[in-house]
Amino acid sequence: MSIYEPPKLAEKFLLLFLKEDLGEEVLGDLDEKFYRTIEKKSLRRAKLNYWYQVFNYLRPFAFKFFTSNSIITTMIKHNFRISYRILIKNKAFSAINIGGLAMGMIVTILIALWIHDELTFNEYHENSDRIVQVLRKNKETDGSTYVNSSMVGQIGVFMAENYPTVFDKVAMTFFRSRAQLLSVGKQSFDQIGYFIQSDGPEMLSLRMISGDIHGLEDRGSILLSQSLAKTFFRDKNPIGEIVTLNLSADLKVAGVYEDVPSNSSFANASFMASMELIYNEQNPYSWDNYNIRVFAQLKEGVKVNEASELIKDIMTPHRDAEDGFMELFLLPMKDWHLNAEFEDGVQVTSKRMQFVRLYGIIGIFVLLLAFINFMNLNTARFQNRGKEVGIRKTVGSFRSQLITQFLAESILYATAAFIISIVVVWLILPWFNSISDKSLMMPLNNAWFWLSGVLFTLFSALVAGSYPALFLSSFKPLKALNGTLKQGKASIRLRQVLVVFQFTISILLMIGTVTVYNQIQHAKSRPAGYNQEDLITVRGRSSEFYQKYDVLRAELKRTGLVEEMATANYPLMNTLGNNGGFTLKETGERIGFSFNTIFVNPEYGKTTQWELIAGRDFSREFSHETGNIIVSELAVKRMGLEDPIGVELQSRWEFKGRKNFTIVGVVKDMIKGSPYEEPYPLMLFPTTRANSFLFIRLNPKVRYVEALPKIQEVFEATLPGHPFNYEFVDDEYAVKFRSEEKIGSLATFFSVLAILISCLGLFGLSAFVVEQRTKEIGIRKVLGASITTLWKLLSRDFSLLVIISCILAIPTASYFLNGWLENYEYRIEITWWMYGTAAVTGLIIALMTVSYHALRASLGNPVDALRSE
Amino acid sequence: MKESKLGDFEETILLLVGILEKEAYAFKIAEEFETQTKRPVSIGAVHSTLSRIEDKGFLTSEMAAGSAERGGRRKRIYKITAEGQRALEISRELKLSLWNQFPAFADGKLNFVLG
Repeated sequence: MSIYEPPKLAEKFLLLFLKEDLGEEVLGDLDEKFYRTIEKKSLRRAKLNYWYQVFNYLRPFAFKFFTSNSIITTMIKHNFRISYRILIKNKAFSAINIGGLAMGMIVTILIALWIHDELTFNEYHENSDRIVQVLRKNKETDGSTYVNSSMVGQIGVFMAENYPTVFDKVAMTFFRSRAQLLSVGKQSFDQIGYFIQSDGPEMLSLRMISGDIHGLEDRGSILLSQSLAKTFFRDKNPIGEIVTLNLSADLKVAGVYEDVPSNSSFANASFMASMELIYNEQNPYSWDNYNIRVFAQLKEGVKVNEASELIKDIMTPHRDAEDGFMELFLLPMKDWHLNAEFEDGVQVTSKRMQFVRLYGIIGIFVLLLAFINFMNLNTARFQNRGKEVGIRKTVGSFRSQLITQFLAESILYATAAFIISIVVVWLILPWFNSISDKSLMMPLNNAWFWLSGVLFTLFSALVAGSYPALFLSSFKPLKALNGTLKQGKASIRLRQVLVVFQFTISILLMIGTVTVYNQIQHAKSRPAGYNQEDLITVRGRSSEFYQKYDVLRAELKRTGLVEEMATANYPLMNTLGNNGGFTLKETGERIGFSFNTIFVNPEYGKTTQWELIAGRDFSREFSHETGNIIVSELAVKRMGLEDPIGVELQSRWEFKGRKNFTIVGVVKDMIKGSPYEEPYPLMLFPTTRANSFLFIRLNPKVRYVEALPKIQEVFEATLPGHPFNYEFVDDEYAVKFRSEEKIGSLATFFSVLAILISCLGLFGLSAFVVEQRTKEIGIRKVLGASITTLWKLLSRDFSLLVIISCILAIPTASYFLNGWLENYEYRIEITWWMYGTAAVTGLIIALMTVSYHALRASLGNPVDALRSE
Repeated sequence: MKESKLGDFEETILLLVGILEKEAYAFKIAEEFETQTKRPVSIGAVHSTLSRIEDKGFLTSEMAAGSAERGGRRKRIYKITAEGQRALEISRELKLSLWNQFPAFADGKLNFVLG
């Protein structure tokens, strides 16, 4: 005997359908099988097998309500047989009906998977409900408030020492998680990882494949992700091997952890090394250097806001009053992904959350569209079956039997749609993952997924089938057979309202797509202030790089492949390195904002090809260049300077030993951060020393394939052992558009499907209407109506509906899209032609759809039309 | 009209019932089937076949006391009826006669290792 028990849910499910007198023997048999499988294989396999066995009892002989010759069974069989025959008889119609519903289900399933993934973000970490990050809220002297996550290292130390009853674990990491160079032998890779304190891996509950989760207690060790360990060591046991960090420190591999899944804040962590590599006894944690992130795990039962209250004022004793006010607080892990946006110090709905909601709404609407189709087409189709109802009633059918017949049809259709949608989703999931940047999987062995799918299918079948079922079954047989039965005005009106609704949504989505695309294009074509083409960037790694930079520059320029090169202490792709505390020397006026302060070589301007609009560029010729600075256009504007050249600034802090600076040049704003935001005011200091970010302007006349290998050769000859890992600046820039492009492609996908579904519906409806008016068309033709007249006659009603939809869609779209665009500082104005394009496209598509049947009917021989029936 | 032919799978199951004697109940039969034929089968499939053969009159069944392993639940033990016995024999006779008409086999020249 065993302590394990077969899955309860499966047992319940079995008993739900199993004939009562079979219960005992079957349960017994399955139990035996279950324990046998545990012995032979595993508990998991046994449970799976149990389910498998249960599903295999879904056989007629075992069903409770399936006594083979009972009236009910025969009736059900009969219902489905008739349904199937009708399905086959109207192939095109059924295909439209089922296809439309399936499309709706596909979209819904995809969106549901996507939303589920977003909402379960970070749940990979077992203690995610107790993990928090320390944030600070700063109030500047000029009244503005902002929230930031960079901390001083002493905060973590203080928290761990003073509140051991509140915080279970505290783990700090180095603030910037920029790529580090890891090498084993000759292989080197740039990898993002974390310099974290030794409690970190356990706090994040990394799943260790091998080695010790506490490995980082030894500062000379490193933990690798499974995939990185594979890349480096293949099948060899990585534990104890040496990995070199940034060509300088040898670290011993102490453990390998399972890759963190993509829906975690730490998904990019391909390694974890000790924080003490950077902070140690010689270089201790400070009270004034904000370059740390502080994470903590609360003790069981401690509330986040209570803990927040405790740490609120930790920084107060360590700051001057003139620095403004600062308050610390904790952000729980569940909020990191979707609720971590602040405006003026107050939590606001994040862009990400807006998308979750938006996609949720789109999903519901697309499904609704499909639903409406299903209903519309069903009611339309059922109305042709008045005669059938009449005959059935005459031969003695009860109303309830008719209702079951119609519902059975609905169920058959909905089930077919569900099966199709599951298959299609399974097929297109890889593609969907690539455009949405996710790694979603089909939850095929999740009972909830199937349960909701089945419930949903039944629900749609009932809703779509209930109207015809109730309505048609109420016919008086005589009337139905007589043919005096007319479709109710109400049902026609209802159908029209539904078509309007469908097209409103579709046109709305189209306008949205057009707008998103234009916004992306607009930002892409925004002048960046420097030339991104033919520009590559390489990171300097070793001290040799700094020492031999001048030689390297001379050598590379001599090849003729490099026009110019320069280094800076920050990359071109972000706005890191911010400093405030400047005053205008002449007036003593304090400058209330901070600059993006960067040290650059004198050739930086020529290399990036920035646009100088006043003054001069830096030059090696000038002996006292160190006191000079170049600022950007925006900086001049915000300082309120009329004639910036020669203006002197004084700083509260020293930059390379100086506090006084003179503006010698002004450049056009450079877009280094988000291309959708205002640029950051720049302040550039000249330095002749090498910094860690190298920029190389390639000779545009030489092709990359020729130039780059030669440059690499020279580079490696000058700096042996230093990797030449370059990035193209324009590639890096393109990454900034990724998230918007994702929105764009998803929006396109959704609107195409919405349009398709709506058109399918319209196609089916127009077919139906034309069919009903066949005789009328025949008579009109005989009396001399032209094809154009007939076409107009048949298309007019639907076109009118689509026009109404446009009128409804445009104001709604403008409301939502203006709201969306407000997120971007650099944005397009929505113009009439965007609405125009979408509306006209919608109309044309709708017209074409309707015209197919209209034209076919009007082109046909009137004799056929009149003879029909 | 009652179906009275014996399908291939049914025949195998029927034989297994004969082999297992007192232990012939759905789970054991399924297990024996898997070990003998190396093919997976679900208990449900076996059970449904058993009940079908029973309907044809080739099997009878009665409940017998269960063991602790199955939570004390009773099990349904199947037994071949005289009719079942006859059906098996007919089927065997038919196959044997077919084999004997197979010239290569009848001459004893059939070489299965041929490849």
